Amino acid sequence: MFELSREGIEFVKKEMTRYETKRSAVIPCLFRVQKENGGWVSPESIAYLAQLMDVPERWVQEVATFYTMFNKQPVGKYHVQVCCNISCAMAGGREMTDKICQSLGVEEGAVSKDRRYTVSRVECLGSCGTAPMMQVNDDYYENLSADKAVKILRELE
Amino acid sequence: MPKVKLNGKEIEVKPGTMLIDAFKQAGEDIAHYCYHPGLPTAGVCRLCMVEIEGNPRMQIACNTVVTEGMSARNNSDKVKEAVRWGLNFHLINHPLDCPICDQAGECGLQDQYMKFGKYTPEMSEQKVKKRKVVSLGERVVLDSERCILCSRCVRFTSEITKTNELGIFNRGDHAEIGTFEDKPLNNNYSMNTVDICPVGALTSKDFRFRQRVWYLKDASSICTGCSTGCKIRVYYNEEGLFRIKPEHNPEVNGYWMCDKGRDIYKHVNPEARLQEARWGQVGNWQVKDIAEALREAGEAIRASVRDSHHSKVALVLTGQQTLEELTAAVKFFLSDLNSRDIYHWINNPEEMEKFDGLLFRGDRNPNTKGLLSLLASEKVSATWAQLEGKLNSHEIETLMVVGPEDPGVFPDLAAKLKLFAKAKRLVWLSSARVAAVDQVTTATWQIPLKSFFEKDGTLVNAQGRKQTLRKIATLIPAAVSVDQAVAVMSGREKAVPMGKFELNWKKTNFFVGERGSL
Ligand code: SF4
Ligand code: SF4
Ligand code: FES
Ligand code: FES
Repeated sequence: MFELSREGIEFVKKEMTRYETKRSAVIPCLFRVQKENGGWVSPESIAYLAQLMDVPERWVQEVATFYTMFNKQPVGKYHVQVCCNISCAMAGGREMTDKICQSLGVEEGAVSKDRRYTVSRVECLGSCGTAPMMQVNDDYYENLSADKAVKILRELE
Repeated sequence: MPKVKLNGKEIEVKPGTMLIDAFKQAGEDIAHYCYHPGLPTAGVCRLCMVEIEGNPRMQIACNTVVTEGMSARNNSDKVKEAVRWGLNFHLINHPLDCPICDQAGECGLQDQYMKFGKYTPEMSEQKVKKRKVVSLGERVVLDSERCILCSRCVRFTSEITKTNELGIFNRGDHAEIGTFEDKPLNNNYSMNTVDICPVGALTSKDFRFRQRVWYLKDASSICTGCSTGCKIRVYYNEEGLFRIKPEHNPEVNGYWMCDKGRDIYKHVNPEARLQEARWGQVGNWQVKDIAEALREAGEAIRASVRDSHHSKVALVLTGQQTLEELTAAVKFFLSDLNSRDIYHWINNPEEMEKFDGLLFRGDRNPNTKGLLSLLASEKVSATWAQLEGKLNSHEIETLMVVGPEDPGVFPDLAAKLKLFAKAKRLVWLSSARVAAVDQVTTATWQIPLKSFFEKDGTLVNAQGRKQTLRKIATLIPAAVSVDQAVAVMSGREKAVPMGKFELNWKKTNFFVGERGSL
C-alpha cells in the first residue's frame, strides 16, 4: 500500500487550501506522490491521493494521463529524458538517445536491469539554445555530446 | 424581455437565455453535440457556430447569453463552412461503423453529415485505433473509437448522479472516455448516458442489436416502475416492446429516468403475461372464456355474501393499478356487496419510504398515493393483521386479489399466496403470469389484466400529481381492466369487450421512398 510521508501529507493539506478549488491542487500534489513513489504514479497511488484529497479518482487520473510529466509506468532511479524536438534533433539529439540506450544497455522507455536508468525521448524542454540536452530527474544537462552524456550518466551515484 | 433577431426572425426571449436555446425557440435548426439542456455548458464540439452582428469572429451559441437587440445568424455560407469543418474534424478518427453500429438511424453524426458532410473524404492518414466493445458495467457498452468527446456522459455522472465514474483520459487524439481502473459504471442512472451520447459510443446492453431503430414506433407513457412516475417513451413494433427512454417533464423527472424503470417493458411483453382466464388449482388448470370466468367468479363472491350474516369476502388491492380501476373494485365491495373488508397489500414495507434523492423511490408501485387517498376518502381502515386473522381462522370464503402487474417488485409474493390460499376460493386478477399462482392449493380463477401499455387511466405519483396514462395498443386480447372485470362480476354486464391484438406496427423501412431509384 502506498502512503505519503508525514511531510507529504502536510504538503497536500496545505496545497488544498492554496487555490480556489481543490481541483487546482491536484497537479502539485500528484508531483509529490510521484516523487515519494519512486518516480511514477501507480493506480494505487492515484487512488490514495484521491482519497486523501477527498476528490473523485477520475479527477486525479485525468490529470495523470493528460501530462507526460507523470510517469504511468515504473522508471529507473534516474529518469533520463532526452529532448528530440527540432533544435535538439538538428544538433544530434536523436542519435544521442540511441547511443545512450546502447551504452547503458537499456531499451528506450524501459527500466534497465539494474533499475538505475529509464531513457525516454521527449519534446522541447525549453533549453533549445544549449541543444542537445537532457533532463535527469530534476536536473538539466546541456551542450551535450553522446559521449559526454553517457559519461555523466555513468558517473551518477 | 430581450428582443433578438435570429436568421432574420424577431423573437422575444427570457433574460439570460443562451443563444442556442433562443435558436430552438425560434424554430431555427442549429447543429450541436455537446450542448444538452439538462447539463452544464461545455462548449467543446464547436458545432453550434453563429455569426453575431458586430462581432468579427464566429461564436458558439451554447455559451453565449443573449443581449437586447442581438442579431445572429447560422444560415450564412461562412457559418455553414465552419460547421462543415467542425464536423469533419470530428470524423477524422471516427470509424466507418454505421452498418454495424447500434446508433445508426438516430445518430448525431449521421444526421449532421446529411447536411454538412464533405462526401468526398480528404483524409489519407491512418485512423487512431482505440478500445472497442468495452463493458462499462451491467448495462452500458463503450466503443471509444466512435466517441467524439462531447463530454455529455462525463458531465452527467459528475453533475447529475455526482458519482463521477466517467472521465476523459489521455490527451489529443488519444483522449478516451473511461472509468478509473475500469471500475464498472453501475449507478441506477447509467442508461441516461446511452441516451445523451449523440453517437454510438455508448450503447445499451439490453437493446443492442435487437432492433434497428427505424423499425420501431414510439409513444409517450408513464413509468410504473416506482411511485415517482417519470414520463417515458416506449418503443415497440409487431414483435413486442423493446426499450424505454425518458421524456422531458420538468415537474417530475426532468430529462432523466432510472435504470430500473427501463425494464418495465419486460413484464408487458406477451411471454411474461397471463394470456387467458384459467380455473382450477395446483396440477389441474382449465382455460376459460374470460367472460365466463368473470361471471363465475362474481357469482362465487356474491354467493359468499348472500349466504351468511357477516361478510365472508375480502378484497386485496395493490398500488399497481390505475385510480379508475381501484375505485371500481372498492365500489364493488362497498356498494354491491356491502363489505368493508378491503385491504392494502404493501409489497415492501421497509422500502416504502426510501428515496434516493434523485428519482428512484423504494415504493415500487405507481399508484400507492391514489390507493391510499381512495381508501381514506371511503373511510376504509381495515388492517392487514385483521385480514391475516380472518384467513388463518378460515373465515374468508372468497378472496379477491388485484395482484401485481410487475411480480418482480413483490418479494413477498410466494408467502402472500400461501396466506391467500387459506380462503376457500381465490379470485386472482393480474396481468402477469406468476408461476407461484399455478401452485395454489385452493380453487382459483386467474383473470388476465391489461398492463399500463394497454389502458387509459390515472396514476397518482409520490408528489400527489395525477398523471394520465394513455392506451397505446393491445397485446393480450383476453385481458381486461379491473373496471371491466368488476362490471361483469357484479352482474351489471354480461360480457367484456374483447380486445384485438393491435401491436401491428409493421417492420417496414420507411426510408425506402426517400432513397430514390437507380
Ligand atoms: S461517449 Fe458519447 S456522450 Fe460520452 S463523450 Fe463520447 S460521444 Fe460524448
Ligand atoms: S425513477 Fe421510478 S418512475 Fe422514474 S424511471 Fe425509475 S422506476 Fe421509473
Ligand atoms: S528543442 Fe530541445 S530543448 Fe527545445
Ligand atoms: S454545442 Fe456549442 S460547442 Fe458544442
